[in-house]
Amino acid sequence: MPLDTSTYSLALLRLDGRRWNELRRIHAQISTQAAADGSSYLEMGNTKVLCSVTGPWEGRQTGQKGGKDNEAKVEVEIGFAGFSGIERRRRKQDKRTAEMQHCLKTAYEGVLVTHLYPHSTISLNLHILSQDGSLLAACINAATLALIDAGVPMTDYLCACTAASSATSSESDNSDPLLDLNNLEEQELPFLTVGTLGRSEKVSVLMLETRVRMERVEGMLAVGIEGCKRVREILDGVVKGYGKRFT
Amino acid sequence: MALPSIALPGQLLGPANKYAPGPGTHIHNAQIHASIAGPVATSPQTAPKSSTTTPNSATKPLPLLSVRRKEDAQDGSILGTSSSGNSTILPEVDSIVLARITRLGPRFASLEILIINNAVCSAPFSGLIRREDIRATEKDKIRVEDCFRVGDLVRGVVISLGDQSNYYVSTARNEYGVVMATSREGRPMFPVSWKEFRDPVTGRGEGRKVAKPF
Repeated sequence: MPLDTSTYSLALLRLDGRRWNELRRIHAQISTQAAADGSSYLEMGNTKVLCSVTGPWEGRQTGQKGGKDNEAKVEVEIGFAGFSGIERRRRKQDKRTAEMQHCLKTAYEGVLVTHLYPHSTISLNLHILSQDGSLLAACINAATLALIDAGVPMTDYLCACTAASSATSSESDNSDPLLDLNNLEEQELPFLTVGTLGRSEKVSVLMLETRVRMERVEGMLAVGIEGCKRVREILDGVVKGYGKRFT
Repeated sequence: MALPSIALPGQLLGPANKYAPGPGTHIHNAQIHASIAGPVATSPQTAPKSSTTTPNSATKPLPLLSVRRKEDAQDGSILGTSSSGNSTILPEVDSIVLARITRLGPRFASLEILIINNAVCSAPFSGLIRREDIRATEKDKIRVEDCFRVGDLVRGVVISLGDQSNYYVSTARNEYGVVMATSREGRPMFPVSWKEFRDPVTGRGEGRKVAKPF
């Protein structure tokens, strides 16, 4: 018998049964690959990401070594598995992947203490195993766990989350923003991805591509920042749980 | 406040006027925060010598606050099941390296450094052996093609961090030089003297700068 979802709209529940401010189930592991310097595996709902960190290392022989001003260079590569979406993916790289790579690169250049490793390269390799919305946020959370596992110095955790506005076009509608979208909600609603640094509310990543009314952006941001705080507690628990094995 | 035993990145450790920041920490808003995940250690600093200008007020030095990696304290074996490549291995002066010759020139030999002080590098570093650093004697009569061949495994010592792209390696002692060589027919050869390797099948000798076996 299929799940009866007819009463969801009466109780203001979403399609998957969550309320407006509930995260999906987040499961994470670190040190999943022995060959990498740092590695992690993250699930946010049905979005599954593998991340491995190499470095700080010498970098390739060709080209300029390291970043400018005697700092380490951050390189990000995102690979999509062919089976990760609903339809099989054929093209390896496109503009959307390059944009996500650049967003991650600039975010982590601000978070990592790169001046400690001049003329070096820190490589992040992310593999998307399954896509179900909030893809950039899942990549950021997985990369944060992998960098902590690798021991790269950083100022704080970088945690990301998505928030959407479910309001209609009428001005009197005061619906709540939604937190941590899945794929169906991302296609229907205007949403933003926000990443904050640790316990503070300093926004390091903000990406908004859809059309939304300006007075609703502040509410979406507030809900997204609250979601990032909760994501940070979950990631903190994963790192502490892993650290308990050593003591 | 008491110091935590294990710190996470971004965790507040103490004020900057009470502790001095060490490795693995950073200062933000006059507070010391952790940069990496690991156990916290405090070590009292030695008194600086320049305090003779104020002999009456004996200023107590601040203890050093540092966060280490957990694997650094353990014995880092090469065959460890955990990520043994976590520590940053760099060639330093007087490091004993094992390298493979990649290119020969009239006055130098290019190599890539594979092992540094019995630790395997995750990525090879490029190095250079100049002609003057091949042997300790008769430096003007040395020909590079009589000492090395492309593909040889060489034991050497780092004598300089070099220029932007190469470390300078020397083989100018008896125990440094070629440790594994392949003959022209592709078979591994065995050393017979300080300057010759020999093919076990054909018996033909080839000139090398041979390392003294341990």
